Amino acid sequence: MLSPFIRGATLAAAVMLAAGTAAYAHHGWSWTQDGFFELKGRITAIYIGNPHATLDVDAKGEAWRVEMAPPSRTIAAGFTEEVAKVGDEVTAIGHRSRDESEKRMKAVRVIVGGKTYDVYPDRVPPA
Amino acid sequence: MDGFFAGIEQLALVRGLKASFVAYPIVNALHIMSIGSLLTSVWLMDLRILGAFRSLPQAAFIVLLRRIALTAFAGALVTGSLLFSVRASEYAAMPIFLAKMTLILLAGANFLVFMRRAKGGDEPGGGAMAVLAVLSLVLWTSVLFAGRFIGFLG
Repeated sequence: MLSPFIRGATLAAAVMLAAGTAAYAHHGWSWTQDGFFELKGRITAIYIGNPHATLDVDAKGEAWRVEMAPPSRTIAAGFTEEVAKVGDEVTAIGHRSRDESEKRMKAVRVIVGGKTYDVYPDRVPPA
Repeated sequence: MDGFFAGIEQLALVRGLKASFVAYPIVNALHIMSIGSLLTSVWLMDLRILGAFRSLPQAAFIVLLRRIALTAFAGALVTGSLLFSVRASEYAAMPIFLAKMTLILLAGANFLVFMRRAKGGDEPGGGAMAVLAVLSLVLWTSVLFAGRFIGFLG
């Protein structure tokens, strides 16, 4: 009686895992395009904290979510709640979502107030 | 409701957790420990009800594992609430988060139905009890998957 059930459960688990692999992921970089992307706009919200820091950016009327590093790395890069505020102009350089209908990117470099913050220094574009 | 979630985010403990380099990963690890224990004890209990491990005495086996499962659930509830608190309004608006909460409620209701029937004298090996055990396995495993997807969707 048990073994058909275990076979069923194993199959269900395999299907769920396959579905998981197909879904885009915001952890890591698998959900982003390979080429670099630049976003310019105005900051509408700043979050520096766990599990990772984010900026909300208004770019020509489009609401974008810019993901950054975990707070330890973001703050180590010099980007804290003191250096930027809502309303500031921002340039974010990184990789946008493979799904271009999704207004979301992961930044490796953020420029605010003329200062550059490399939140993923090992991933910045070659100078 | 928005004000309620924003209020949670402003609590001193929550602000500390939000900015902490050490406490947040520790809470995260304790959440994983809790859900690991919970899922393991649920699977072992349900499989026993479905007829596995027949050499082990059912009553004592279930009593032990139920105690572990309830303790683990309490731990998951505390650590999960802390993880939720740092971005409460953000998570509360995510469909996958709401799906997870609904699944937990369904799994809890399933547990209560099982306990009522067990008290009413239903044999754990009976057909209705087996259906409830399978439901328990499916629901708790879905809770785990929904929880993991909170970090990847939204």
